[in-house]
Amino acid sequence: MPLILAKAGQTNTIVKIGGKEKTRKFLESLGFVAGSEVTVISEIAGNVIVNVKDTRIAINKEMAKRIMV
Amino acid sequence: MRIKIALAGNPNSGKTTLFNALTGSNQFVGNWPGVTVEKKEGGLKGHKDVTLTDLPGIYSLSPYTLEEVVARNYLLKEKPDAILNIVDGTNLERNLYLTTQLLELGIPVVVAVNMMDVVNKNGDKIHVKKLAEELGCEVVEISALKGTGIKEAANRAVALAEQKKAMKSVHTFSSRIEEALNAIEAKLPDSVPEEQRRFFAIKLFERDDKVKEQLKPVPDVEDIVTAAEEELDDDSESIITNERYTFISSIITDCYTKKSKNKQTISDKIDRIVTNRWLALPIFAVVMFVVYFVSVTTVGTILTDWTNDGLFGDGWHLLDIGAAEYADASDAYSLERTKIDAYLAAAEESGIDVEAVTEALDPETENPDASAVTAFEEEAAAAGIEGTAEIYNDEGEIEETFPVSLEDFQTAAQAEEPDPANYGVWVPGLPGLIKSGLESINCAPWLEGLILDGIVAGVGAVLGFVPQMLVLFIFLAFLESCGYMARIAFIMDRIFRKFGLSGKSFIPMLIGTGCGIPGVMASRTIENERDRRMTIMTTTFIPCGAKLPIIALIAGALFHNAWWVAPSAYFVGIAAIVVSGIILKKTKMFSGEPAPFVMELPAYHWPTVGNVLRSMWERGWSFIKKAGTVILLSTIFIWFVSNFGVVDGQFQMVEDLSDGLLAVIGRFIAPIFSPLGWGEWRASVAAITGLVAKENVVGTFGILYGFAEVAENGWEIWGTLSSSFTGLSAYSFLVFNLLCAPCFAAMGAIKREMNSAKWFWFAIGYQTIFAYLVSMCVYQIGMLVTAGSFGVATVISLIVLVAFFYLLFRPYKESQRLEKEVRV
Repeated sequence: MPLILAKAGQTNTIVKIGGKEKTRKFLESLGFVAGSEVTVISEIAGNVIVNVKDTRIAINKEMAKRIMV
Repeated sequence: MRIKIALAGNPNSGKTTLFNALTGSNQFVGNWPGVTVEKKEGGLKGHKDVTLTDLPGIYSLSPYTLEEVVARNYLLKEKPDAILNIVDGTNLERNLYLTTQLLELGIPVVVAVNMMDVVNKNGDKIHVKKLAEELGCEVVEISALKGTGIKEAANRAVALAEQKKAMKSVHTFSSRIEEALNAIEAKLPDSVPEEQRRFFAIKLFERDDKVKEQLKPVPDVEDIVTAAEEELDDDSESIITNERYTFISSIITDCYTKKSKNKQTISDKIDRIVTNRWLALPIFAVVMFVVYFVSVTTVGTILTDWTNDGLFGDGWHLLDIGAAEYADASDAYSLERTKIDAYLAAAEESGIDVEAVTEALDPETENPDASAVTAFEEEAAAAGIEGTAEIYNDEGEIEETFPVSLEDFQTAAQAEEPDPANYGVWVPGLPGLIKSGLESINCAPWLEGLILDGIVAGVGAVLGFVPQMLVLFIFLAFLESCGYMARIAFIMDRIFRKFGLSGKSFIPMLIGTGCGIPGVMASRTIENERDRRMTIMTTTFIPCGAKLPIIALIAGALFHNAWWVAPSAYFVGIAAIVVSGIILKKTKMFSGEPAPFVMELPAYHWPTVGNVLRSMWERGWSFIKKAGTVILLSTIFIWFVSNFGVVDGQFQMVEDLSDGLLAVIGRFIAPIFSPLGWGEWRASVAAITGLVAKENVVGTFGILYGFAEVAENGWEIWGTLSSSFTGLSAYSFLVFNLLCAPCFAAMGAIKREMNSAKWFWFAIGYQTIFAYLVSMCVYQIGMLVTAGSFGVATVISLIVLVAFFYLLFRPYKESQRLEKEVRV
């Protein structure tokens, strides 16, 4: 399911990242790679703050839709 | 020979703190991803021949962000003698991703594991020796904030650099990839030095175009890459990324013992609340209210009043001792003066010549003629004059009227102006001190005028905002350093994204309601260049504190203090921002991929007092320096054209502003403003003097309509003003002054933040033309609707209006240009 549907506090494993290459690569350098664990910390109107590899990262709805967990 | 050491690491890893500690130079440290946008250099303390270069904070060496390209080009082309790679110990896995790439460059690397104090406090353990073994480079534990271990880290890097020994990376990928990389390495031209061959091989495998540019000839490796891609069912770049993370995961368990797994950090807990779906906006509103309340209204106003009226005014009562008593005495005195004026006016009406007595009673007159007063009193007594005094409130309404008899007049004539120096502890202001100093050396009157009215008054008016700005900067630095600023951007992003701005644009605009200068300067926290430029251009549309008197003047003089005038001014400002945002977003200059919002949120932490104060001082100081240059010159210019002119065929100093060169200029440019409904030279002159400081507009009107001094809202001239303006033309004047180029000080800030003459002039030009067109539309279309007048200007206005709507609603074609794009 897309990350946008994950519940706050839940830890999931990233399966796949879609979207434009440039953004995908940036996400990868931040630790968003398939197999990484991702925890949703909070969510406002689809924009989410997640914890990946011990870092908090804010991503907007459009991006969160493309991260499959 | 100088040794060059590059400092590289992730944003927020403490790189800039380490740089400051090692070089001793002053640099701002912000808890904000990518605060270091430029390359900074400094000499290493204790090593005279070592230069330390602070590279931008980067997550990887791929070419996707401007920072990465800058850092990569430096590392490849300048070839530093060693790299000091700072990694965040609390976030080791992600930070090592960059380390693996740095190790491939062939340059000696020292890894400095930062935030060891936090790691130890959490009860975690990093096995440095093991890590060094796995990475094949030296690893040092440090805490940049506390200053522990940093000397050792620097010394190791210097020692490695002095050895001048190329380093080969020891980490390897899976055998299939290694095979492909070896095949590519064999194809590389001989010109590639041994230690860089692996780097180039990996980059070629990733199909990195920017690296290809640096290779001549470019070997054809496409078949090797495609073969590997097909075999592993992924694109080559992702293969390498995954390989890196696999390598890191394989070593991390041996090198890093985590005490508690999956425990929520304090930052996570704070974020749960602060960025909560329901609480985020209320919390944000409260924080902003506190910032605004303290820095713009309460403490800020007190400080601003003190600098404007005290330091750059008459003077002030130290600790307010005697201030209340003086205020009472001063009020009593002005009441007596009102009585005198009322009595004299009544006498004049009855045909008594009051010229001599007025002169004698003027407090400015030296050696007043007492006999003139006596003569007048006799005459008035004979005629039985009764005066009526009127007391006005601040709104210009009559609050009280009472009769003034001859006795009242006589007592009033005896009243003496109270001297503030006789009450409490009085500290005279700078202008007074300078004035007496100049008088004591017999300074020429024109020079005294230049220094006092031109320089001290002009620069003082601008410097008057400094204390308020410093208060604001403390808040900003605190919000930035503690990590909340990044959350603000997250919370506000959805709203601002709609009209081409970023969530971070909110702060400059909020601050802009107080003063545009710190507002423009606050835009520095926006690292996306396009968003920053757009924010700088639009921030000054918001009515700042100095524009409030203009609003009050227009509202009072022409709209009978209608309630809607002031809110409408803010509405015009906000609408101008939204409309400009949407229009500009669709232009070529600002086009580009709308950057998706992906941002690292730093962990919350208490900022150090030193960092906050340093940041405050740096921003404040850069403003003060500007006041000393750009603003100084422009105030001298305005003073000159106001005070000199041609009278009786002779170029000389003029008494009256309406004889000065400025009036000539005003008359010359006035026709330009005719389509706006106020093509009158006085209004033009007022608009020009508004460039020095917006509150000058009201003062200038006062002088030009024959009042030496007017209240802040200028109620004395409401009558005269309403006869030379109509409601529409006054509103058009208001709109123009709200939206046009801001005061010189703010323009200086725009120039500095744009850091480019071209963009500066574009911003100023855009603001002024935008203001002109909007005011013209307001006036012409207003005239068409209310009076039915129709002319060439009406047609032009309608065309402009249509053009506005076209620009506003035309489809937004996403441009293909990406090259300038930086991550948000």
